[in-house]
Amino acid sequence: MRMDMKVIPADDEITHVVLDGRFDIQGAQEVDSRFDELAKSSKALVVDLAKVSFLASLGIRTLMLSAKTLIRRGGEMAVCGADENVEKVLRTTGFNEVAGIYPDYESAARTLRERLAAFSGKKP
Amino acid sequence: MSKPPSRTCTRDFPGTVEAASDAENWVAGQASALGLGQEAEFAINLCLEELFLNAVQHGHANRTSISVCAEADGVTVEFADDGEPFDPTLAPAKRINGPTDDFDIGGYGTGLMQKFSRSMSYRRFEGMNRLVLEF
Repeated sequence: MRMDMKVIPADDEITHVVLDGRFDIQGAQEVDSRFDELAKSSKALVVDLAKVSFLASLGIRTLMLSAKTLIRRGGEMAVCGADENVEKVLRTTGFNEVAGIYPDYESAARTLRERLAAFSGKKP
Repeated sequence: MSKPPSRTCTRDFPGTVEAASDAENWVAGQASALGLGQEAEFAINLCLEELFLNAVQHGHANRTSISVCAEADGVTVEFADDGEPFDPTLAPAKRINGPTDDFDIGGYGTGLMQKFSRSMSYRRFEGMNRLVLEF
């Protein structure tokens, strides 16, 4: 296995995905279908990249497709914990324009809850 | 004081997506022998994945060759493939600009290669695309 993927349903709104490994061609192929399912069924996705040591073309495609699917369903996506190189990749593509980049899971989840509450008219 | 010798590794790969994965593993395996730092290894692998996928999926290449040369002042990588002529130095760098739900999920490779390398130069020679990247 190139990439380990754990899905932690934090509550009824946020799904916490923890990745561990290299998000290269092989890594992306290993997690692609699970990301697709989550993007079609979750309200909000926080992808924890703290243990991702590499991100390139196909990994970006996986994240972009999930973000696009979620946004079009009225959902939200964020990533957290990215190291300097991984964050540089994300910002170079403009991924940060469609999904937030946060230092840790707590700050990402808090922001997504506030945004979901604002859209639905509820208090977070 | 004499200049430290350069260290070069070269290997041919078939033009398949599976081989792209093998190429990444190969570069990762050569990193310590070539004395590559973590940042250089990241940048090289990022560019190679993009080049490999371009050559195989869009250029229909049957064979590729990767040469990595580590010198005291940096690393030079040559990527060669027998696919259709394609000069990535002329391709525009794409980026999502502003919040939208209408964005492409791919095609960001050129911008990434420009950002992660110091320079890129291209030539078509003897039926091969030859791209030299400096890191």
